[in-house]
Parts: sequence; C-alpha cells; structure tokens
Amino acid sequence: MNADTPPDETEDPPPEEVDHRVRRFVLALAPFSGIVALFAGWEIYVRLSGVGPLTLPLPSDVLWHVVTNADFYWEHGLVTLQEAFWGFWLAFVLAMLVATIMAHSRFLERATMPVIVLIQSTPVAVLVPIFIIWFGFSPWPKILTAALFAWVPFVANAVTGLRAVDEDTYELMRSVDASRWEIYWRLRVPHSLPYLFSAARICIGLALVGAVIGEFFNSTAGLGNTARVAQSRVLVDQLWGSVFVLAFIGIVLVVVLTAVERRVLRWHSSQGLI
Amino acid sequence: MALTDTSIPETATGIHFAEVSKWFRGQEQVVHALSRITLDIAAGEFVSLIGPSGCGKSTILRLAGGLLQPDKGIIRVGGEAPEQARRRKHYAFIPQQPALLPWQTVRKNVAFLGELNRGAGSAGISAADQLELLEHIGLGSFIDAYPGELSGGMQQRVSIARAFALGAPVMLMDEPFSALDEITRADIRYRLLEIWRRVGSTVLFVSHSIPEAVILSDRVIVLGDRPGRVSKVIDVSLPRPRHEDIEDSEPYHALVSQVRAAVKGSSVRS
Repeated sequence: MNADTPPDETEDPPPEEVDHRVRRFVLALAPFSGIVALFAGWEIYVRLSGVGPLTLPLPSDVLWHVVTNADFYWEHGLVTLQEAFWGFWLAFVLAMLVATIMAHSRFLERATMPVIVLIQSTPVAVLVPIFIIWFGFSPWPKILTAALFAWVPFVANAVTGLRAVDEDTYELMRSVDASRWEIYWRLRVPHSLPYLFSAARICIGLALVGAVIGEFFNSTAGLGNTARVAQSRVLVDQLWGSVFVLAFIGIVLVVVLTAVERRVLRWHSSQGLI
Repeated sequence: MALTDTSIPETATGIHFAEVSKWFRGQEQVVHALSRITLDIAAGEFVSLIGPSGCGKSTILRLAGGLLQPDKGIIRVGGEAPEQARRRKHYAFIPQQPALLPWQTVRKNVAFLGELNRGAGSAGISAADQLELLEHIGLGSFIDAYPGELSGGMQQRVSIARAFALGAPVMLMDEPFSALDEITRADIRYRLLEIWRRVGSTVLFVSHSIPEAVILSDRVIVLGDRPGRVSKVIDVSLPRPRHEDIEDSEPYHALVSQVRAAVKGSSVRS
C-alpha cells in the first residue's frame, strides 16, 4: 500500500445484511413477546390445572368481561386517572420547589434531609384516614395520597439533578458573572431533566398506587372502589377487571412518558444518540 | 501606583500581579499555594504559565479571572479589580474539559456565554461572525450537531470558538488541550494561534507541555512549587505568524531546551 494513495471517495458502504434486518425486527417485537408469553402461560396453566375461577380466572374471560363492560371501566378508570394525574403533578411541583431551595443552600439541604427521610420511612398509607378527616368525601384525600407516594423519588432525583452539575460549566458561567437565576435556568434545570424523567417513570406507578389506596379507604368511584366492592361481593370478574384496567393505564402512561422523553432528551446518551 | 497600564489598546487589556500570595485552608492543614507573585502581562501578549503540578498555575488563572480572591497583594486587569472586570464580561475562559451544554447544538453552545449577564452590555460577536468562526475552526458542517455526536477534539474546538465568540479582551486558558491526543493537539494549537492573531486579545495560558508553551507564547513563565512562585521568565522571540515549520527550526529547539532546564531547576523536589 502506497502512503500517497488518495482516498477513494466513490467507495460505497456495504449493503445491509438480511440477517441484520431480521434481528432488528425480532428485537422490536421483544417487549410484546414477554406479555404474550405471560398471558399464554397463565391461560394454559388455568385450563390444565383446573383451578376454579374463584382462585384464578382465565385471562381471556377477564379480557372479555372488560371489553363487554367498557363503559363501566372507562368511567371508573377516568376517576382514578384524574386523582393520580393531579397527585403526580402536585408531587412534581412540590418536589421542584423543595429541591430548588435545597440545591441553593447547604444549611437548608441539611435541615430538610431528615424530614424527607421521615416521610420516606413512614408508611404513608396510614396518613390516608387523617386526610379523610381533613377533606372528607372530596377527591383531595386520594390526590394527596397519590402525591405523597410520588413525592420522595421526585425530590431525591431533583436535588441530585439540580446540584450535581458539571463544575467546569458552572465556573465558566461564573467567569461571565452569570446570575444565580441564569445558572438555575440554563444549567441546573436542563441538567436535571434526565433525573426527573427517570423519577417520573417510577412516580407514575406510585401515583396510581396512592390513588387506589386512597379509594380503598373512602370512595364512591374509581378502580380502587370497584375492586373493593368486587371483593366484598365476590365478583371475581370485576376484581380482576379492575386490576387489568389499572395495569393497562399504567402501561399507557409509561409509553406516553417514554415518547415525551425521547423528544425532550434527544441529546442525552440514554436515548442512543451516541 | 504603577499598576495601571496607560497604553492599553482598545481590544486588549493587560494583567498585573503585585506581590500576590494565596493560602488554601483545608480540613487539616493550610497550604501555602502562591508566594509573592509579581507579573506584568502587556495588553495583547500571549503568556504561558508552566511548572510542576501543584505549583499554582490554575490558581493564578483563577485569581486573574476574579474567581478566587488573593490573601495578600494586588491584582489589576486593565486597571480594574478582577471582580469588576468579570462583572463587565472582560474574560473568556477555556477550561480543561470542553464543558459544553450537552442539550444544546454547537451553534447554541457557541452563543451561550454571550447570552448570559446581558446587563454587562457585551453580547459578544454577531451570529454571522460566530458562524464564520465555526467555519474557520473546521466545524462549519457541524453547527446543528449535539456535543455527544462530536469527537473530543471537535468538542474542544467548540469550546475555543465559544470563548472567542465573547470578544473579550482577556482570555484565560486552563490546559485546554490536556485531554487531547498528540495529533489533534498539534492541529488545534495552530488554529488557536490563527484566530488569536486576528482578535489580538491578551492570553494567559496554563500548560504542562513545554513545546506547546514555546510554540504559542510571547513569554513563558516558569513557576516553582511549595509555595508557588515565579522561578524564571523566558522570552520567546520566534517570529509570528507561526506555522508548523517552526518546530523544525534551531531557535525553537534551543528555547524548548532552555524552558526544560528552567522547569527542572524550579521544583524543590528535584
């Protein structure tokens, strides 16, 4: 090989191999295959083992029940979804407020930390009766329970995201005398976004759990209510139907969140940019 | 006091240290970082600081930039206290790491510092000039790329463009090429010189590479350690503009040897 050989600019990349395309297609199907396998295994087990529908119904029966009672589940699902939704955002806003204060003052961070640990280590479900005493039959006890469940992961990740910024970038901004406000909006907040998204993934589930637990204690509607009523009246279809619809809501919300995350965090290495 | 330089050109600003000392207080011990540093860097001059690690090179840079306060002595940048110069956006800083915002494109990263602290009245060079600068530094086709899509050398070039985009009279560079491989470094230092020649700002450059300091500078200041102090000042009288061929010249090699000997003699450990 001669060192003076000019680069060959007409050279084409090799064609994509069929094998490679098949592999990508199979990979794209992988998330669905797990769920299909779970339901298939469940269906086969119930049919072969002969356990009664009271113990474990056929998943196909439950699905059919949900589809034929779609209006009923839509109505109650919407109630739970709204409680979880407002609880989620309340948790987010409160967490950002607290984390912003904590990220700007070592003293306040140290003062607040024990309170967060206290909330984290208290089984917050026991607070639901207190919320009911305060707010009665309104949606607030459910929203507050959802918010309380979702708050801790949000605040923990927000503090890390706002505080653990790149020191060189921070110094660079100081070198042009950027204000605290500029450092907050242009450095700390964007830096915390990946942390907040990974918290949000967990918090969506937690907010739903919180809303359902709130409904267990006191409610006239919602999937926590339908499940509780079904249990007391031994309506196995409705009990499992509530579980299925809750799981479905959770999956849809996570899928929506993932889509938003893909857009917002295009730059981030977790999105396979590099 | 003779600290104020009266013959400062419009685009550049001199840096003056008079008997500056600095201590760092750790948890267990007090470290004497700098002792009686006196420097006179003329407006438009390119000066390198070199010396053993821990000799306070970066500390001098941060004192000059008003990011640290001296315990003793006086520092003036264009006749002002560094704090004041910083408030007026008189500094362009190039840190060791590129320190780009990963969520912004190359174009926005370059404009970023100019958009901050608008009250100071300086927004840096125009958007058109920024694009020309990127073109000149070889990033013309990457203006809409994110930093994560660029190689380390390209990221560092963005960092250099970002600093020059400020149009500041004083540039502070803290070993900006230390994370790059030798081939990339060799390329990037001449690009730096080329842009600097057109801008004419005062440069304080921290380096741990002797050849690099010689190639770039008008003067090399050799520092000794424990505590950091000025050990020797060497004038680099190579003609400008400089290109790669100076590295083959006899005076260049003589200067490199001279600086190397001075660095060797500067450390209390040797």
